[in-house]
Amino acid sequence: MASEDEINLLVIVVDVNPIWWGQQAQREPEFTLSKCLDAVMVMGNAHMAMTRTNKLAVIASHCQDSHFLYPSKSWRGGDSGAEDASSSGDGKYELLSIANNLIAEEIRNVMSKTEVRGNSTDTLLAGSLAKALCYINRVSKDNEVGRDTKSRLLVIKAAEDCALQYMNFMNVIFAAQKQNILIDACVLDSDSGLLQQACDITGGLYLKIPQKLALAQYLLWVFLPDSEQRSQLVLPPPAHVDYRAACFCHRNLIEVGYVCSVCLSIFCNFSPICTTCETAFKIQLPQMVKPKKKKLKQST
Amino acid sequence: MKLRVQLQCKNLHEYLRELSPEILDRLYNHPATCLAVYRELPSLAKNYVMRMLFLDQPLPQAAVALWVKKDSQKDHDECVSVLAGLRLWHCQQLQGGLQGYILNPVFKDNLRIALLGGGRAWADEGSTLGPDRHARDIDSLDRYAMERWEVILHFMVGSPCAAVSQDLAQLLVQAGLMKSEAGEAPYITSAGFQFLLLDTASQLWYFTLQYLKTAQSRGMDLVEILSFLFQLSFSTLGRDYSVEGMSESLLTFLQHLREFGLVFQRKRKSRRYYPTRLAITLAAGVTTSSTSSSSSSSSNLASTPATGDAGFIVVETNYRIYAYTNSELQIALVALFSEMLYRFPNVVVAQVTRESVQQAIANGITAQQIIHFLRTRAHPVMLKQTPVLPPTITDQIRLWELERDRLQFTEGKHAYLCVCVCVCVCVCVCVCVCVCVCVCVCVCVCVCVCVCVCVCVCTSLRNSLEFIDVHG
Repeated sequence: MASEDEINLLVIVVDVNPIWWGQQAQREPEFTLSKCLDAVMVMGNAHMAMTRTNKLAVIASHCQDSHFLYPSKSWRGGDSGAEDASSSGDGKYELLSIANNLIAEEIRNVMSKTEVRGNSTDTLLAGSLAKALCYINRVSKDNEVGRDTKSRLLVIKAAEDCALQYMNFMNVIFAAQKQNILIDACVLDSDSGLLQQACDITGGLYLKIPQKLALAQYLLWVFLPDSEQRSQLVLPPPAHVDYRAACFCHRNLIEVGYVCSVCLSIFCNFSPICTTCETAFKIQLPQMVKPKKKKLKQST
Repeated sequence: MKLRVQLQCKNLHEYLRELSPEILDRLYNHPATCLAVYRELPSLAKNYVMRMLFLDQPLPQAAVALWVKKDSQKDHDECVSVLAGLRLWHCQQLQGGLQGYILNPVFKDNLRIALLGGGRAWADEGSTLGPDRHARDIDSLDRYAMERWEVILHFMVGSPCAAVSQDLAQLLVQAGLMKSEAGEAPYITSAGFQFLLLDTASQLWYFTLQYLKTAQSRGMDLVEILSFLFQLSFSTLGRDYSVEGMSESLLTFLQHLREFGLVFQRKRKSRRYYPTRLAITLAAGVTTSSTSSSSSSSSNLASTPATGDAGFIVVETNYRIYAYTNSELQIALVALFSEMLYRFPNVVVAQVTRESVQQAIANGITAQQIIHFLRTRAHPVMLKQTPVLPPTITDQIRLWELERDRLQFTEGKHAYLCVCVCVCVCVCVCVCVCVCVCVCVCVCVCVCVCVCVCVCVCTSLRNSLEFIDVHG
């Protein structure tokens, strides 16, 4: 009965980038953010219904910040919040209805209160992932002795990748790998190189769904089984991974570039001093001299 | 020559499988039971159900078989048989003549309701009654539940202060945990001793199963009771629920639950009740309720607040047990397999000896149960070391058990079988002999008669001499 003893935590990170979802609503009026969140709730409910020890957290990733949709701060305070949130009385399991009401309420708050300032329109995905990792760490620390937590992350990604976040993103991925946390990615629109790498490194699943309307079914079908059951089930084959790195100077994705021999920073064009570790490279001169020396040796 | 009676705890799954198909189909009419049954499925089967939950057409069997990899085909077959056994899905002919699976429509609808809503409310919630003036907090509910439960256990060990209702005493007798002779107070059986040494969750589950077995003879509707029980186990601790709309038999059931400490009701006529932690952990404790639970699950159960008191027993390698408790019940339990040395207001010192352990084993308690009891009630200081109990003690208790078990008794029916076989063989032989004798006599007589007749005929006719020669 080992599976009964451990806590299974699923953290869902939803991309709620208002600009992308606004365009999406114009393109396809039948698949909007609320539809997407419905699918997320179905997935969350299914996860929590599986066993009593399954836990859920949902994070919304906005342009400037990321919010915990569930469990939120207002609910954590005590049972007072739970009482007015529940009692919808439509036959749903109480715990699930509390969670769903809370998610709906929080997302309304997030979307109405947060304004898009400045010209940064990219989703702050790396920040949300980092927040999720911190939350997982806290939950596993809070555990009683002898109970271990198995956690995984599910990213539902809508907007384009942002090369600016490359460094932070890679750091998050390696932190997750070290903690044995799977990162799964469900991509709605265009392929994301960063998430492909994340899934490949941590051993998660990457899936770009062909039909957005069937999101809930894809989630239940592919992402609901945990790592133990995944070894038994036949799941989509791993996607081709785009392993291109972003250079540190202009954040462009490059295939061939210059690498600092000391700190392994990547640059798209040569600079005599590494901007990360400030090592001065004296490669140019000895290279010019070397052939001469060899010639001298040969002659003598 | 005493045969040991092992207390068998079944889990929910095994119990449900014994029910008749009609009852199962009616059970799935309630979202709470569907959720409870769903949670008991093997993890692979859970995924199967989830994948098919939102499909309305049957899926071809060949497609379902392709869901798993080749090397876990065995798990797949098991899941298929479990799902079919619980009548969660059945086969249906597809249009092309292929066999397909489709989820039980009643189960599917109710599980959808449990997950996503859209149905009727499970129970009238207390909010219709307005806030309770005598509202209880979680701590007092916990205390109440443990108190009620301990009264039952006290009654079983025969404490004079514990009194329970007629119904409950009868139930204990029916469950085989106690025996009563005419005119005397019931006394505990060896199964009862084993029951006492279980942890609370297992005790509760065993007890509930016994209750359900007798429920039908009391004229209660099994489906109604089970649905209510599951509904209770999915309710929220510290909230009040209303008894509005409950049938007469369900109200008596509620009174019984109140006596076990599963629900709190201020007065018998009170219109609201609070489920306690015992009720809520009922379904959770189901899977770990085997008598020989592994060490990991037992340590887990010991640390949950559901078992009430934290660990209080310290076992030393010199066979001494220090029990930091003032509960009569716990002291009585420790005394089942040890010799009391000293008693102080808050601590009892006892010694495990060969005689005391063998006495306990003679009472039908196994070494495994003693060790399990000590481990689940171990003091927090003990829990820090691994293994929790000193290995010398556990080994010695097991050895003492083995000392008694030098003769191995196998199932009694083999002996009967031998006797039967012997008797059968004897009877057969007799019959054979009789038959043989009969046949011999018959043959002789026949031959004689034949010869006589022949001779007579031959001599009388004297027609052909050769005929007589051949016969002679």
